[in-house]
Amino acid sequence: MMSVPGCAQIVKEDNVTHSFCGLACVGWLYQKIKDSFFLILGTHTCAHFLQNALGMMVFAKPRFGIAMIEEGDLSRHDPKLDEVIAEIKADHHPSVIFLLSSCTPEVMKIDFRGLAHSLSTPELPVLFVPASGLSFNFSQAEDSVLQALVPFCPEAPAGEKSVVFVGSVNDSIADDLRSEAEELGMKVGGFLPESRFDRLPAIGPDTVIAPIQPYLARIVSRLNRERGVQVLRSLFPFGPTGTRVFWEDLAAMFGITVDLREREQAAWERIGEQTAMLKGKRVFLTADTMMELPLARFLKNAGADVVECSSAYINKKFHARELEALEGVRIVEQPNFHRQLEEIRESRPDMIVTSLMTANPFVGNGFIVKWSMEFTLMPIHSWSGVFTLANLFVSPIKRREHLPEFDESIWMKGVMPSAEA
Amino acid sequence: MRLAFWLYEGTALHGISRVTNSMKDVHTVYHAPQGDDYITATYTMLERTPEFPQLSISVVRGQDLARGVSRLPGTLEQVEKHYNPEMIVVAPSCSTALLQEDLGQLSKHSAVDFDKILVYDVNPFRVQEHEAAEGLFTELVKRAAEEQTMTEKPSVNLLGFTSLGFHLRSDLTSLRRILGTLGVEVNVVAPWGAGMGDLRRLPAAWVNIVPYREMGPGAAEYLREKFGMPTLAGAPIGVNPTLAWIRDLLEQLNAIAAEKGIAPLSMPDLTEFSLDGMSAPSGVPWFARTADMESFSNKRAFVFGDATHTVGMVRFLKDELGMQIIGAGTYLSRMADWVDEQLEGYLPEPLMVTDKFQEVSRKIEDEMPELVCGTQMERHSCRKLDVPCMVVSTPTHIENHLLGYYPVLGFEGADVLADRVYTSCKLGLEKHLIDFFGDAGLEYDEAVHSADEGVPVSSVSAEGAAENASGQAADGGMVWTPDAEEMLRKVPFFVRKKVRKNTENFARENGAENVTGDLFKQAKEALGG
Repeated sequence: MMSVPGCAQIVKEDNVTHSFCGLACVGWLYQKIKDSFFLILGTHTCAHFLQNALGMMVFAKPRFGIAMIEEGDLSRHDPKLDEVIAEIKADHHPSVIFLLSSCTPEVMKIDFRGLAHSLSTPELPVLFVPASGLSFNFSQAEDSVLQALVPFCPEAPAGEKSVVFVGSVNDSIADDLRSEAEELGMKVGGFLPESRFDRLPAIGPDTVIAPIQPYLARIVSRLNRERGVQVLRSLFPFGPTGTRVFWEDLAAMFGITVDLREREQAAWERIGEQTAMLKGKRVFLTADTMMELPLARFLKNAGADVVECSSAYINKKFHARELEALEGVRIVEQPNFHRQLEEIRESRPDMIVTSLMTANPFVGNGFIVKWSMEFTLMPIHSWSGVFTLANLFVSPIKRREHLPEFDESIWMKGVMPSAEA
Repeated sequence: MRLAFWLYEGTALHGISRVTNSMKDVHTVYHAPQGDDYITATYTMLERTPEFPQLSISVVRGQDLARGVSRLPGTLEQVEKHYNPEMIVVAPSCSTALLQEDLGQLSKHSAVDFDKILVYDVNPFRVQEHEAAEGLFTELVKRAAEEQTMTEKPSVNLLGFTSLGFHLRSDLTSLRRILGTLGVEVNVVAPWGAGMGDLRRLPAAWVNIVPYREMGPGAAEYLREKFGMPTLAGAPIGVNPTLAWIRDLLEQLNAIAAEKGIAPLSMPDLTEFSLDGMSAPSGVPWFARTADMESFSNKRAFVFGDATHTVGMVRFLKDELGMQIIGAGTYLSRMADWVDEQLEGYLPEPLMVTDKFQEVSRKIEDEMPELVCGTQMERHSCRKLDVPCMVVSTPTHIENHLLGYYPVLGFEGADVLADRVYTSCKLGLEKHLIDFFGDAGLEYDEAVHSADEGVPVSSVSAEGAAENASGQAADGGMVWTPDAEEMLRKVPFFVRKKVRKNTENFARENGAENVTGDLFKQAKEALGG
């Protein structure tokens, strides 16, 4: 057990299960970066994962694919991807190809950097993105994608200060964040990533980096190291308090003092009905998307009792403010699911925020459940996201109240014969 | 190395978990990197499992490999402690197979009794979903089945019913209903809902029923060799195959009854198989003779899927509905010879064997059949081409995991299939009217229509993904003069794409670079309307 001075205690357990590997980030990033192609060097397993677990749509020409390693390829340490790249080029005309690693080629010790380098041309860069389940969880490989983009962000000359938001969000959230920053008097340098590879933001010593997703610790410290940027260390902009603190802290880095407490108060009032429902509710968050810390903090601010907040990866520096705000909450990194299941069965929380894999079984065990993945796909950032965020948490509670009485001994009969006692 | 976008067959682990997810108290421990248990989502969402699928992962992290640490023994102990299963199946992943880790040795290092561990060391680079599922089920049956006396009354085992099988629950109900009418008891259904104790009881049944080619024959073969149990193989898809299946079953059971000196079972009045007990067991034979269905005789159908359903559908469409089969195919290359043999005389061209959906899609585009029976992927391809399609085989989407009773096996299955054929195809007389007089007010904007093409083909649909797939790309880019376009607009909308394509082919064959009104007329005459 580690102890962080002034912070919540973090219990570290042995592993995360029932969650996705880093390749999951392809699901939103190929849609976000519209002139890209995501090429995974992987196996049948990677292909099956992408087509099944993520709700991926297969269109006539999807902008992601798997260069499939089959048995005959296992002895070759220099995979020949030229033809695959030529096919992608001809069919998709991307501006950039992200070459994602997966477990098998990593075990094969394939030199991905060398491979990407040899496939790259000035017209069409091929960028290596480490993403395998040997090291990366779910949203975490977005960090790798953004790191691969760094060399293509122009150097911003020293002088005028501007903010670059780091983390992929949809265009409408990006517009909101941009106009909010401008209204507060800050110049916006752009977003990493932008929706096109050829529009990456300039980054330099007078750039303020504002991380807007809680799984991007490494890219932020790398930008600090390589470009000398200033990094915002604040809460993430989720919920009234997170949003208020985020904008106040960001403005402060521009020498602007703003007091957004009234706005925060108004936002809390707007979701008064929702917080009334969350008040005193005992909530358990299993590890999945790595959005868990700020979500738990919002719940705590809203008056809920967070029984346990677990996450695959916690960075004491990057997450310092969230950890501080979670003081008193039990926080677990790399949780053991078997242990969690046992405790949940004993302590009977009022709601469980959990993965696609475990949601229905928890419902089957009598719990109210919220899919954790929905928070990665819904507009929950900043002021405009407050209402959506609060509603996501209360909708399963409301729904359950509206459904008629349910006698398990009748209505679950034969639902899954293997699960019957 | 090939570029893959989407695959028909799942991985070996998917096959293994389909078996263990079907069973009681059999737990899979997968020695794999984090995230390789993604398939759990397929079970909990498609099958809406109310209990945790019995799949645990002994996580392999990069740092463990560097340190030479394995979490497998520890995970086995945790599984034993928390779930206390009757049997633990240990399986490798791509990565651990490549590392050539000895799962047997590692398992022996755990405190769990090795007798309850089955190391299923399948090569995930060589073996895929169906072969892995079939192999594991056979192994489990070999471990469990015990010599015992047969049941007093005629009884059967239903083998091969596996989670995520095509319309599995309804098919099981359909066969149970037939067996109930015959007075035949069901001894064990496996793997669906069975525990190791049930597998132990398998040899008590008189006959093993194995409807699916993909799953069950291995176990039945073992039970035949070891215990002399007869097998009734084959899927009763369609009315006559169902009647033949019942007669074969009675014959096999009555042979045993004779040995035992028990009175034979007789074929009941066929009305007894109907839902109300007083009607024909299926509406298909009369339906096929109706004047409406007569117009189906010239409809051209293409069938693609697994082995069992491809064979069953081709025969059903041709033998019982009188449709024209223009071709068929399967993605199960291992079973292609069997499919070919079963469909001898049914196919006008060689069986298509491919695991590339693009090839199947191209075939459909070239032929523009009036009906395609396929997997979820063919449904998707057909929506883009405006070709009627019904799903008859895995892989499926949530749309094939419905609450209602939609069997494909047995008499009731024949009714469901005929209904789906009928509602998928453009109708008979109505079609003539539209063909002859125009659009019958059904005309709608092609552009609006093509915006409707974002169809999720993954098994689990999550929110958020949306992309506009343009239908224009398929047009091949030949220029049409305004008068030709005007003439094309007079063609009923639902055959317009096909006419456009055929006309362009005609133009190309005749060396024309664009389609003029004259050329359109020539094409119309040459191609017959």
